[in-house]
Amino acid sequence: MTSATFESAVQATLQREVQVRLRRYLKLAIYGAIAVAALWYAAVQIKLSFGALISGVPFMWDFITRLFPPDFSYLSVLGNATIETIQIAIWGTLLAILLSIPLSFLGARNTTPHIIVFHLTRLLLNSLRAINELVFALIFVSAVGLGPFAGVLAVALHATGMLAKFCAEEIEGVDKGQVEAQMAAGATRMQVILFGVTPQIIPQFIGYAIYRLDVSIRSATVLGFVGAGGLGFSLIQTMKLFKYHQTATCIFVIFLLVLVSDWICGKLRRKVI
Amino acid sequence: MDQPMLMPNTTKTKTILSVQDLTKSYGGAIHALRGINVDVHEGEFLVILGPSGAGKSTLLRCLNRLVEPTSGKILHNGEEITGKRVNLRALRQEFGMVFQQFNLVKRLSVLTNVLTGRLGYRSTWRSLFYNFSKEDKKIAIESLARVNMEHKAFQRADTLSGGEQQRVAIARALAQQPTIILADEPVASLDPKIARQVLNYLKQVTHELGITVICNLHQVEYTREFAERIVGMSRGKVVFEGTAEDLTDEILHRIYYKDPDEEEKNGK
Amino acid sequence: MSISIEAKTQSVFDELAARQTWRFKHIVIIALVVAFLVWCADGVNLRPREVFNAVPIIGDYFARMWPPKWGFVEQIWKPSLETLYVALWGNVLATIVGLPLGLLAASSVNHSSVLRSGAMGVLNVFRSISELIWAILFVAAVGLGPFPGALALGMNYGGILGRLYAEAIENVDKGPIEAMEATGASRLQVVLFAILPQALPQFVTYNLYWFEVGVRSATVLGMVGAGGIGFELITSIRLFEWREVGLILLFILGMVTIIDHASTFIRSRLY
Repeated sequence: MTSATFESAVQATLQREVQVRLRRYLKLAIYGAIAVAALWYAAVQIKLSFGALISGVPFMWDFITRLFPPDFSYLSVLGNATIETIQIAIWGTLLAILLSIPLSFLGARNTTPHIIVFHLTRLLLNSLRAINELVFALIFVSAVGLGPFAGVLAVALHATGMLAKFCAEEIEGVDKGQVEAQMAAGATRMQVILFGVTPQIIPQFIGYAIYRLDVSIRSATVLGFVGAGGLGFSLIQTMKLFKYHQTATCIFVIFLLVLVSDWICGKLRRKVI
Repeated sequence: MDQPMLMPNTTKTKTILSVQDLTKSYGGAIHALRGINVDVHEGEFLVILGPSGAGKSTLLRCLNRLVEPTSGKILHNGEEITGKRVNLRALRQEFGMVFQQFNLVKRLSVLTNVLTGRLGYRSTWRSLFYNFSKEDKKIAIESLARVNMEHKAFQRADTLSGGEQQRVAIARALAQQPTIILADEPVASLDPKIARQVLNYLKQVTHELGITVICNLHQVEYTREFAERIVGMSRGKVVFEGTAEDLTDEILHRIYYKDPDEEEKNGK
Repeated sequence: MSISIEAKTQSVFDELAARQTWRFKHIVIIALVVAFLVWCADGVNLRPREVFNAVPIIGDYFARMWPPKWGFVEQIWKPSLETLYVALWGNVLATIVGLPLGLLAASSVNHSSVLRSGAMGVLNVFRSISELIWAILFVAAVGLGPFPGALALGMNYGGILGRLYAEAIENVDKGPIEAMEATGASRLQVVLFAILPQALPQFVTYNLYWFEVGVRSATVLGMVGAGGIGFELITSIRLFEWREVGLILLFILGMVTIIDHASTFIRSRLY
């Protein structure tokens, strides 16, 4: 390049840079304005007020002091509730795994028998995912009565939605070459799924199932709020009886349980993936 | 097994596969195969030579019907296999396939990968538990032994090097006890020394077992070294048929650089 | 070939047989696991017959929700939107809480391990206390309504996001950091120019995902008085007004689906 063309190339790029920068600022300004407007509107709607928060601090403090110190003698009573919480989470996740196995294959474009089945399955899974476990628990408590049974079903349905959708997406993303090789060897459709597709997704499946177990333990702790068993029930009971020191113990146990389960599940997931 | 063995290239004459006027087009616009006529002789090592895009992969996949031809006929031992009533499973048992990307199931062991070659013979329900019969296991291990990979039978497939994986893939094809092996660019991802080793195994073992091989290659040197007969393809048409001696530079030029349609117009 | 093929085959075949017999140890483990699961099932009153009986009962309850009581829309469209606002501000507050703590908890930013453990500890406390419990606390502080709900989500998700931010920061490519430090940039400048630009896409992904989750959580905060559609939901269920419940569930499904598609859209535009 001659020095003249070099100069003009540099000039042209400089001009372009200004234009690009202006365009970017404009885009940022527009998006920013929309975001700020939306947030402002939402803040008004929910009566967001830091003034209210600050003036609420003494109430919070009052509440917290009523909780402390926790009544540690209450720990022995909570033993059963804790075990029940864990059992709810375990069976909820287990049922979810069992249900997810067929549903995830039905909900994946490359393994579903028919496109209508695919869309129906996706609709079902989205519905299960959208609804919180507490809502399911409320409904099931009406249907099958108070107690952990309702809790297990609630956990299971929601977890199925999450697990199956995740697996369906993994199934859609498998290496097609390995599938093609099985087809070329004359395997039936089921055999191709067993040998070509499934081995590719097993580690992710197990890892996500362990994650769901962790989340389920967390959910199971509050299911008792609506009478579906576990530590949540003790928590609400103690609050209703104004035995706040025992409430604190409940919160403490829940906190410990979640912490431990998170640590264990984290370790397990690392081993699998 | 490192030195290419000088194998007697006896001329084989019995036709095992006959491709007649095969065409394949995608959406009426892309013509991958334009009237292919080829005869494959039993027990031979046939190489289909041509640049990428010539239609070699498509042709191979039409033979075991992973791809459906648009028109034309394929006869296997005199019987038509392109009809609608053909049992695909039985057909694919006859054709073993080796892929450029190996296509082994990475997480499964070498042995299990080879065993999947037997799936065509096993009912679905039996394989639901990843269960294979004693006989299947013997056949699989034997196939591995033939390519000298039996000592790695229990390792995970993705722990093997490229050449080793392809040998396992060949063993998988052998485990099917096929009459024909289709090899689609089997050594394109391997470096020359390993590539020759793999092609050696392929030719030697299939020769011992009397299996016919149709091998797609785009490398001229390998073709000259290993092919008993060569079919040259360019842009969906056959432009050459003969042995390595007949493969002159002029013919190569025709395969790689000339447009077969243009040549027809010029009355070649 | 010095060793015959038959001999090689036989030796591998024998090894295969040997590998499959020590499965006996596995049988013991499986038995223990099964016993444990049976004990768990007993603890939660889970019996196969009960489950089979429960399915038609639950089906019946869901059937009672159809057709949804469309007239009820008047009463729930406002709380539904409120749920969205709660989730939105919950997300913003969570970022405000989580970002500084996350930065402090990341080893590539903060070289003091005491401060790091402290920040991590705080984040862990925040995330381990359920948002419902936070909601109860904040309702006591600022009264009923959606504001405590947003605060509750902010605290709980702040802990979650903070930990995720810290992880993302630590997984950033160290090359540009080294390069910046070599030019003599201060710690803050390194964070601004080398770390944050790399980690930002990951942050956005996390925020979008947890906003979605937040909407689902916000639907039940109303049960403890923290705003959103939860209050109407629990009221309708307690009054056995199943067709109203059906409408509310449909609304929730609709909201979540729209947000799901919107966030996929945003994600695709971002990359």
